[in-house]
Amino acid sequence: MVELIQAWLYRPNFIAFVILFLWGLYITVVHHNLVKKLIGLYLVQTSVIFFLVTTSAKSGATVPVLISEAGSAGPEMYVNPLPHVLTLTAIVVQVATLGLSLALVAAIYRQFGSLNEDEVLKRLE
Amino acid sequence: MTYHLPAWVFLIPFVTAISIPLVALKGEHRCRPLALAALCVTAVVALMSLGSVLAGGEIRYAFSGWAPPVGIEWVADEVASIMVAAACLLALICVLYSSPLPAGPLEGRRVPYYTIVLLLVSGLVGVIYAGDLFNIFVFLEIVALAGYSLVAVPGGRALMSAFRYLLMGSLGAAFYLLGVAYFYAATGTLNIADLAQRAPGLLESKAVIGGLIFMFIGLGIKMALMPLHAWLPDAYADAPDSAAPILAALLTKVTLLVWVRILFWVIGSGESVQQVDVFAMVWALGVLASVGGSVLALIQTDLKKMFAYGGIAHVGLVLIGVGQGSHTGLTGGLFYLLNDAVMQCTLFMLAGILAHQYAARTLDDLERINISSPWVLGAFVVAALSMVGLPPTGGFFGKWYIVLSAVESRNYLAVAAVIVTTLVTLAYFARVLERLFRGARKTPLVPDVETPLSFRTGVAVLSVAIMGLGLWSDRIVSVLLDATRGLGR
Repeated sequence: MVELIQAWLYRPNFIAFVILFLWGLYITVVHHNLVKKLIGLYLVQTSVIFFLVTTSAKSGATVPVLISEAGSAGPEMYVNPLPHVLTLTAIVVQVATLGLSLALVAAIYRQFGSLNEDEVLKRLE
Repeated sequence: MTYHLPAWVFLIPFVTAISIPLVALKGEHRCRPLALAALCVTAVVALMSLGSVLAGGEIRYAFSGWAPPVGIEWVADEVASIMVAAACLLALICVLYSSPLPAGPLEGRRVPYYTIVLLLVSGLVGVIYAGDLFNIFVFLEIVALAGYSLVAVPGGRALMSAFRYLLMGSLGAAFYLLGVAYFYAATGTLNIADLAQRAPGLLESKAVIGGLIFMFIGLGIKMALMPLHAWLPDAYADAPDSAAPILAALLTKVTLLVWVRILFWVIGSGESVQQVDVFAMVWALGVLASVGGSVLALIQTDLKKMFAYGGIAHVGLVLIGVGQGSHTGLTGGLFYLLNDAVMQCTLFMLAGILAHQYAARTLDDLERINISSPWVLGAFVVAALSMVGLPPTGGFFGKWYIVLSAVESRNYLAVAAVIVTTLVTLAYFARVLERLFRGARKTPLVPDVETPLSFRTGVAVLSVAIMGLGLWSDRIVSVLLDATRGLGR
């Protein structure tokens, strides 16, 4: 048990990720306000992106650019750029989802005059 | 020349989708011919690509010439090419069918409709061809965003359905991306061919197991696997009649194909992950989905919801076949996937025709109308026969291979589930057909109307396709058997 906790404490980024992810999931499920549900959803998506970025973190390393012709430094000198690239794409996807979901919520508000899920469902009956 | 065909199948609908709003500035009437022409060309190119793949083996397309593990790769093997050709043809028929429909909810929104449908098609092509897990994520999101916006078009109740669909779909995507991140952290690659080399040796790693679980949860939400299906019936029932067939036919099926790819092409088969037999889990979920989905379909009164639950049940049937882990089971599952796409498309088209022409949306409405059109009734009978699984149709042969594989692996619970599903499917189609034909004897409360040409072509082509999939099933199955040789235990 102590070893497990020690292992966790060496990876504070993973702990932060788990907290953010579960927090977002909780907000999405529990709140009745549609915008708050969306905030929870973005928290989930952002936590996954955060996780992706932290997997490539490396102390003392630099950007993957060839510094000099002769300097064929080892891989420990460079940060793996791929997770960052994936992150950029994932952020673009997230922004598109954000735009569409806010447009949907705006349309719901215009039609039903409420952002509360229960009230909207009541009006649908 | 043939090497570039897979890229063209994606680029034609994609570029046309972007150019449609510009063309619409010159006149909205040009959008429809342009979209139809683009889909025709896409379908032809997809068929050419299928032909060259069948003749000359798979095409591995490396984008801008970067070799696969570093660059992005598209894999047009036999399975992917068949699915892409089917998806493009179905999309073409759906758009052809939709011409008299936009009068209602789509009024004034024709330009975005064609744009989004074309984007949907390009996204589907991308999901099927993509050779690495992250690309699959991106294309799945393109498909999903197009799906959310198509569902929301009619406003009112559909807005709420679309919102729920969006919430569930985006959570599913987040889970999938998390799984991909785990896989990348553990293996250092995202390319499926590369993963197939490294992942089977790493199945004891907790990161790979976690990644698998997250990916399966994410894809399970997106393909409406039984306990995670709640968003689907509302979304498909409220979607506009012009969009429902294409959504129902392709969205869940393509996600299911991704799951099959990860199961067989990535983690390999015959492997149990830390004493847990992955395939046993898959077929058990399939049993739950097929029996549960068809029982829920039986108690529906709304036609579209009934068909949507039928689709959920059929996803379960595919999983039963795939979950046997055998070569026969995989082939049967893939063949049934193809059939299911065509059947769902036909059923939602018919539901759309009934709703549009006779304002019949529920079972009780069917008693008030008198349909004399042989096109609609004939297609209904063919689709019902195939859903139930009677011999001349494709549905029978799909089920045949699934049951065969279950019997081969002495999995009698799975056989029983397929039989129960068949019987329950028969029960709910009997309810529909009984009302359709009994209604014809009474004096109709709603006058009969001429079925427009585009409706007739749509259902006729699809009925022929259902019969064709049955009559030429041995050819298609033998191609699939060759394509999946060496996979399965």
